[in-house]
Formats: sequence, structure tokens, C-alpha cells
Amino acid sequence: MLDRFKVPDEDKIYVPVDKITEVTQNILKASGVSEEGAKNSTSVLIGNDLRGVETHGVSNGLRLYVENYASGNYNSKPNIKIVRESATTANIDGDGGLGAEIGPIAMEMAIEKAEKYGMGAVVVSNTGHLAGCGYYPLQAVEKDMIGQAMTSGGAGLTVPTWGSEPILGTNPVAWAAPTKEMPPFLFDIATTQIASNKIGLARRTGAKLLPGWITDKNGDPILDEVEAPERHGRHGESNYHLLPFGGTRENGSHKGFGLGMVVEIMTNELSGMGPAPLLKHEGSDFFAAYSIDAFTDTNKFKEDMDELLKRIVESKPASGYERVVYAGFLESEEYLKRSEEGIPYHKEVIEWFENHCNEIGIDCELR
Amino acid sequence: MLERFKVPDKDKIFISETEIYELTKRVLMASGVSEKGADNTASVLIGNDMRGVESHGISNGLRLYLNRYDSGENNPTPNIKIVKESPTTAKIDGDGALGTETGPIAMEMAIEKAKKYGMGSVSVFNTGHLAGCGYYPLQAVNEDMIGHCFTGSPAKQTLPTWGSEPILGTNPVAWAAPADEMPPFLFDIATSQVAGNKIELTRRTGAKLLPSWIADEDGEPIMEEIETPDKGQYHLLPFGGTRENGSHKGFGLGFVGEMMTNILSGAGPAIFNDHQGSDFFVAYSIDAFTDVGKFKTDMDALLRRIIESKPATGYERVVYAGYLENEEYVKRSKDGIPYHIEVVEWFEDYCKKNKIDCDLR
Repeated sequence: MLDRFKVPDEDKIYVPVDKITEVTQNILKASGVSEEGAKNSTSVLIGNDLRGVETHGVSNGLRLYVENYASGNYNSKPNIKIVRESATTANIDGDGGLGAEIGPIAMEMAIEKAEKYGMGAVVVSNTGHLAGCGYYPLQAVEKDMIGQAMTSGGAGLTVPTWGSEPILGTNPVAWAAPTKEMPPFLFDIATTQIASNKIGLARRTGAKLLPGWITDKNGDPILDEVEAPERHGRHGESNYHLLPFGGTRENGSHKGFGLGMVVEIMTNELSGMGPAPLLKHEGSDFFAAYSIDAFTDTNKFKEDMDELLKRIVESKPASGYERVVYAGFLESEEYLKRSEEGIPYHKEVIEWFENHCNEIGIDCELR
Repeated sequence: MLERFKVPDKDKIFISETEIYELTKRVLMASGVSEKGADNTASVLIGNDMRGVESHGISNGLRLYLNRYDSGENNPTPNIKIVKESPTTAKIDGDGALGTETGPIAMEMAIEKAKKYGMGSVSVFNTGHLAGCGYYPLQAVNEDMIGHCFTGSPAKQTLPTWGSEPILGTNPVAWAAPADEMPPFLFDIATSQVAGNKIELTRRTGAKLLPSWIADEDGEPIMEEIETPDKGQYHLLPFGGTRENGSHKGFGLGFVGEMMTNILSGAGPAIFNDHQGSDFFVAYSIDAFTDVGKFKTDMDALLRRIIESKPATGYERVVYAGYLENEEYVKRSKDGIPYHIEVVEWFEDYCKKNKIDCDLR
């Protein structure tokens, strides 16, 4: 993440990983989620926080999920069903469960299929928020596979290239691959200029948005630095819209828009849910695993990865920069640091935890 | 493509698809390529020209390929072998063939596997230029499948985000999916700000390069509009351009391309190994996931929603990837393909020298 999104030092409270894990699980269980479900969602959220991806950790996510469980928007006890299956593929109906609860199960299925047949892919329909895509491909990496995940993140947010009406979501996509000694490669992006969660984060940290990151209400790109606008609705109700990455056509926004469309197709259309922009449903997910062994020697693959990643990290930076990194490198540094020191949460987040625990009468000792 | 890359009206010569296809095939066969091999390569190049992707058609491609056959860099009579196979995957040694010769074969294999098992993917190494990724996923679309393709193009062209040394290639990637009545979705991009071939195209059309499209020799992004520098005097930037504008997304996707081609095929990272690159093709059977009819109707609804949406100020319409290419395809099927006069002259000279029948005007 750019520095502007990080929690300012004076607002940081460090919480050990096991403490925040336990409290998060207990909060989810208090919302009616099963032990296994709470474990899955918590692993995803805290995994993101540990890698420094706090846009998709407990800070923004947990209160949203608690609200959605309370309002009945999410099903805390989903009856997850496989509705279509082949040797390498499956289509799962998530029965309104949280994406972060079902995602780890779906990726596990894709991995098992890839172990047997070389590749596996699982789509999940009828689920809530996935909390980003980064966590799931790492499940494949642990099994020496290449992992991929896509999710159609809430439609009606992003304008097409040349367009003024918000149609697609932020539609994130991620790939990860194993290495031998270097931190694994983990590429995890929104197909917009900026994830909409980052706008929430910017409001909390007071950061400004850079030129070409969003459009005004009419769909025209805002080309000045601006304060993060308030309150975001979907399908044209908002006072700003997101731009596909690239920003303008001259700078390649058709690449961001096209990749966003790929995600929409591989999730909502391939799962049979239908286009989120027209049906206004929560979205669907796609998970794939590729067995490296089906193509080449796994050990050689990992050594080749090390060699190339080292070449990148050891290359000469452009003037004004201290070093060159690859996707997943800084996240891995953060993971090691936070495993030891705890995760630095904004004090506002800790206060939310304390208030919520107090309200529902569960233990909450985070400081 | 942006207007600046198109052939200026005064330099256009229109040639029919069949005519240029037959001639291209003859030219390739005169270099020793088999009838099937020539058919594959000509189909890919002219398929690109028909969709208006002339950066990856015969104008830049054919003479390059002929030079490479002459110099021995590519093999006109390859012995293409499957070296590893599972129910859903295969790895092909291209024996120095052009990527355009092996690509259609590899995608066909992926499609066959997907028909049986739900998905198929094929990795190809030891091959030359693929002429972009767009053609191959469309093979899957013709079978009501989703197609996907990566190619690891020659290394040391594109800088990493924050970096000053060119490491990756332009590493294109493409996906395509069928629709019912609407033109198919076809998303086909380089993971650099500009495809290397487009820079060559600007030399012919005289177009300028826009700010933050390339970096100077020291890796500094050039932030003004400039004439195309000579080869070796610039580096490509990953798409996004600068970190603030998201170049880590372009660099990351470029790395995925490198990983799914050169590393997964076992050829090894292109930057350390003096090979030409590798390719990766995937086919997904839609039927293995959901009802194909519903999928295509849903695609139509989504694609129509985009086409019918209100454009931003200053634009006439909104389109999706593959839409304009399809318009061009329909138009060029009728009018012929507008080639630059320089390209036609090249054909005429080449045919004369090699005693190949050539009647283009």
C-alpha cells in the first residue's frame, strides 16, 4: 500500500495475533456462525492484516459482516451445496454465507481436483464479501501449486472506459506461486484505480486521493488531488464513481476495464448468477489451482522463481527510489514483522471492538 | 487501437482477406514451411489484421518471420512433440517453430481436454513469436468455451515498478468468452503501457508517443509527448506507467505471464536464458460450470448494458473489449484490409526476388 493509507503512528495500537484472532472468532460465533465458519473468516481477515493489507482485514470487514448478519443480509448458517461438478470443476451455491467463510472450502476443492487431474476450478455463487482475493491463492502455494482467485466486488461502482455510468464492481483478481527461499509471489489487485475499501481507509487516515483515481457524479475523471468523498452508494447513487485502472483511455484504462470484465464473466456469468450490474446481487467468486508438477519439475519451478525474483529485488532502482520489489515481497516482510510485534490497528478500530464486545457481552482484552 | 496507430488514408491499399491469406501462405511455404504450418501462421496474422490489430498482423510480422527462418532462428520444418501430459494438461516442445504455427495446435489440444474433463491447459516452449494472444482464445469461443492465453515475449524490455533495469518482456495476455447475439468478448493486451510492436508501428505512421508511455535509458519515465526514439534508447514501462498510477498492477500481471509461460514450461526465466519465449493456453468448458445457453444470454445482457450506457463528456459511445475489433472484422470482410503502401511494396519486392506469384493491386 502507498504510505498515505497506513495508520498514523500516534493512532496505532499493537495487538498480538492470537488475541485478535480469538476475539474475532468469538464475535463471529456470537453472530451465529459455526466454529468452522468463524475459523475460516477469521483466518482470511487476520491473514490480510498480517500481510499489511488492512483494507481487507478486520478494520473495515468485521463490523460490516456483523451488521450484515444482524440484518439477515448474510446467512450465518449457510447450507453449502455443490450444484454442478466435473472432474476438474465445481459450482457451489453458498446459500448467502459470507465469502470469507466459503472461499477457503472452495479453494481446497480446486486444489484436490488439481492434485488428481492437473487443474481444478470452483465457482461460488450466492455469497457475501470475500475480503479480497489474496488469501486463497496462498492456500494453493502451500501445496506447491499456482493459485488464482477472482471476485466480482459489488456491481454499480466502476465506470467503463469512455463511460459515465458505474457498471462493474471493483472486481479483484489474484495469482500466487511458490518459491524456494524467496517470499512467494502474490499478486492481488482491484481492477479499479483504487479498491473502494481504500477510500474508507483514506477517510479514517485523512489521506487525499490522487488525480485520476475517481470520477465525479457525472462520470468525468477528477484530475486534482481531493479529499476522500463521503459515503458511497452503488448504481449511480453515489457522488463519485471509481475508474478502471489506468484511469484514462490514453493511459490504458481499457486494460483495467477489460480485466474487470474478465472477473465479472468468470464469476457471475460462469457461476450462472447472471450479471451483477443488472441483477444487483452480492456477487460470486472463482478459484483455480494449477498443479506445477503436471507441467514441469516442481523443484526447478521454485528455483527458477527464486532466481528471477532475486534478479528483480537486486536490480538497480530508478532515481528517487530505494529498492525494487515484486508483488508479495513487502507483504511478506510485513507478515514477519507483525507476527512478532503484533498488528498495528487504528485506535478507532479497537474502540469498535471494545464497544461491540461490551454490547454483546463477550470478553475482549486487546490492549 | 488509438487513432494515432492507424494507417493514414493516403497510404492505404485495400486487399481482400482471401487474397492476402493465399499470398501469405505461398510466401511461408516458399520458406519451407508445411502447408498446415503456413495455414496456421497465415490464419493468425490475417485474423489479427481482420480485427484491426495490425500491430500483430502481417505488416510487422511476416518479414520478421522470414528473416528468422533465413537466419535459422526459427525452424520452418519443426518436429513438434508432446513431452509431458496429464488428463487436463500438456507440455509441447515446439522445436523452434513459430509460435503462430504451434499456438493453434496447442489451443486445440486444450479445447479437446476441456471437452472431456472440464478444463484443459497446454504449455508450449521452444517456439518463436506468437503474434499476440488474441487469436487463440477465439478458437475456444468457437467451441462455446472460455479461452485464455499468455505469452512470455523476449525479456529485457520492460522495467519493474520503481526499477531502472528492463527485466520482463511485454508479456501479453488474453481472455475471450462467447455471447449469443452480441460480438464475443475478447480482451487482449500487452502488460506494458504500449506493446513493443505498436512502437514499431509509430515509425511507419509517424505518430508520437504519449507522456509516461516509455522511460529513458536510465529508467526515468518520459513525461512529455515525444517522437519514437531509436531502438535501444528507451525502455518500456509496465502498464499504469508510474506507481502512483498503478504500474505495480501492470508489472505484477506481466510477472504472472512470465511465470505461467517460461517458468511453468520449464524453459526458465527468459532474462537468464537465451530462448525466445513460451506460451500458455487454457480452455474452460462453460458447460462444466453452468448452462451454456444461460451463460451466453447473460453475456448478451451484460454487454448490451455497457454498449447502451451513457458516455462520459467528450465521447460518442461506450464499448467493451472485442466490440470495435468485431466491427472492423465485419467491415474488412466486405471492403478488404487496408494495408500501408510500404507493406504492399515489400510484398511485391519479396515475391519478385523469390519468384512468387503476387498480384495485390
